[in-house]
Amino acid sequence: MVYRLVAWTVALAAAAVTIAIARAEPSDALAGDSALALVAEVAAGLLLVATAVASRARTGFRVLLAASGIAWLSGEWNSPGAGAAFTAGLVLYAAWPPLLAHAALLYGDRRLRRSDVALLAVAYADSLLVLGAGSALFLDPRPQGCFDCPANRLLVSAEPELVAELGRAGLYVAAAWSATFAALALVRLTTATPARRRVDLPVLLPAAAAVALFGARALHGGERGFLSNDPTDRALWAAQLAALALVAAGVAWERLRARRMRDQLAELVVELGRSSPTGGLRDQLARTFGDPSLEVLHARDDDAGWVDGDGRPARLPRDVHREVTRVLAGGRELSAVVHRPGLLEDPAVAAELADAARLALEHERLGAIRRAQLESLRASRGRIVATADAERRSLERDLHDGAQQRLATLAVAIRLARRQLASEDPQLDGELAAAEQGLRDALAELRELAHGLIPAVLAHEGLKPAVEALADRSPRLVVGDVTAERFDAPVESAAYFFVAESLRRCGDGDVAVSARREDGRLLVRLEAAAGIAGSTIDLEDRVGAVGGTLTATAHAVRAELPCES
Amino acid sequence: MRVLIADDEALLRDGLARLLEDAGFEVVGRCGDADALLRMVDARRPEVAVVDIRMPPNNTDDGLLAAQEIRRRHPRIGVLVLSHHLEAHYAMRLLEEVPERAGYLLKERVSDVAVLADALRRIGEGECVVDPTIVSRLVARKRARGPLDELTDREREVLALIAEGLSNAAIGERMYLSPKTVEAHISQIFMKLDLRPGADQHRRVLAVLAYLRAS
Repeated sequence: MVYRLVAWTVALAAAAVTIAIARAEPSDALAGDSALALVAEVAAGLLLVATAVASRARTGFRVLLAASGIAWLSGEWNSPGAGAAFTAGLVLYAAWPPLLAHAALLYGDRRLRRSDVALLAVAYADSLLVLGAGSALFLDPRPQGCFDCPANRLLVSAEPELVAELGRAGLYVAAAWSATFAALALVRLTTATPARRRVDLPVLLPAAAAVALFGARALHGGERGFLSNDPTDRALWAAQLAALALVAAGVAWERLRARRMRDQLAELVVELGRSSPTGGLRDQLARTFGDPSLEVLHARDDDAGWVDGDGRPARLPRDVHREVTRVLAGGRELSAVVHRPGLLEDPAVAAELADAARLALEHERLGAIRRAQLESLRASRGRIVATADAERRSLERDLHDGAQQRLATLAVAIRLARRQLASEDPQLDGELAAAEQGLRDALAELRELAHGLIPAVLAHEGLKPAVEALADRSPRLVVGDVTAERFDAPVESAAYFFVAESLRRCGDGDVAVSARREDGRLLVRLEAAAGIAGSTIDLEDRVGAVGGTLTATAHAVRAELPCES
Repeated sequence: MRVLIADDEALLRDGLARLLEDAGFEVVGRCGDADALLRMVDARRPEVAVVDIRMPPNNTDDGLLAAQEIRRRHPRIGVLVLSHHLEAHYAMRLLEEVPERAGYLLKERVSDVAVLADALRRIGEGECVVDPTIVSRLVARKRARGPLDELTDREREVLALIAEGLSNAAIGERMYLSPKTVEAHISQIFMKLDLRPGADQHRRVLAVLAYLRAS
């Protein structure tokens, strides 16, 4: 707040001084007697100050940009009509280019490199000490022909030759560092990542142009030893003015862009608060940040890796063409945004991601993790059921191949013994006949036992024959339209046990069963006129283990089993 | 009568062979797995092959698959499948393509040599035989709808006995009916099942098939 007040006060005062000076001696002013040129000159300086004040960039950049704008206004002060401002004009007239270059190098939260510091040191020294204060110490304007000029209050000793030498050297150095800075800016722009360039270009390019034009003016006045207002000077000055206006526009545009992004993210947060679209955050961020390949991943609580917005397991890419930005909270990785390299070098994007999208990320992460946990629970339940089924099948096989075969063999052996003994010992034959009958009954019982474990016909022939076999054992089961299609073993098992277990809970009377495939699901339905009693929790477990659902009414139960093949 | 025995349990195979030989059958071969069975049938041409449904290599329904293969290769050779499975579906698989000269009995009949001998002879004569336990369960089953709804209870009873492989005379004895009445029932059944006049034996087989299909 204080900064703004100070900046505006100084800027407005400087603008007033500039206008007064230019109006007092139009022939000595760069703006000449054109009111339009003067308005443009003042406007360019004030625009720089205004955008600097309104910008959300770091303080260093904003102060330098505002200072550059104010220094620009002092460009008219080293003229005869300047009055009290004359001395300040002598010192400051060349200050704006290094200030602007400095601001431009800091733009986009950049840090100065060692080469930047060296360049800026040369620029500041040249503009403020050689061309500015240094010359002012030895310049007495009146003996040099400017009889109307106000007194130079910094004058130590009038040394016209030294002033001319300092002016020539200072201007050539100014031309040199300006060209260097412009070249440096161009290299930075061409080697930057696309995201970085998008941020830098609107400010760095016009700033480089403004500084280069200053260099051109310095070169033009080099031989003369001072900057003047001849036609070439004026043309270059007018171009500078336009470039400065563009710098201001670039800074303002960045501010608008950041605000638009913030608005979009704010909308997203509101949207997420209303409904909860899975994966919607990814689409929104991809749109907002202009990276269609962007992915959003979330860390699972149990350090069990990453999941996507839908809770499906995912991996962080190890690909040089992808960059991963991790979102931390309390030192823990919560989410990761996978994007093209350099996207988050754009400080506005990174800041928005950390601020506005944080809530949305956290919201989606919780949902994704919940879905992942549900899925792993379901998978584990499925494995338990599958293991149990495998055990049942193995038991069933053992009964058939072991016990039943033995009993059948024994029955044959007893019959052979009976043939040999029958005529000799009728009583023994009778006992053996009873034993044989007992073996036959045992075989029938073993068969039912094995069938109860898991019917072999289910695995061999499928759901329809298995349900028909169930109807043979429970005659009240009426088999309606049951599809003869085959399904995966877990689906067939779940459907069969659903029918068998539901049947046990039906009251007396007929029970109708039907099963059909529809839209990638197997729909199995039981209808009992006498009603269905008892809890359905174990049925739900069995059906849920393969990802199915169960609905029950007083007279019917229905299972839906996913069976995508 | 020349028979061949296929069962992976050697003791049972040998015991069954002795029982059948005592009953007047000529056992022309014994084997313990499906591949050997097919080779032996090709080489020795029995009149009927007695086949256990579960045999190596897979111990699931290899015997049944081999039996179906025998029916395709040698339509004149009969097959009697002995099975642990009560499900009519397996019998259906055996009878569906060629219903003549085929039988499906439960494994516990293996020591009941009278039943076995009767079944083998009927199969040799071109009939099909289905285990009475399976047939009686089919009779008890409630049906959603089907061609058998047209039949009266009495006709359905007669059809069940035909399926078990009983002759007209035997059906008459079992149900205390005169041969003429039995014949009248049977022609009613044929008509209702839309079986046109032809070789009587063939129509009986087709009626049994219709019966199994409806199950």
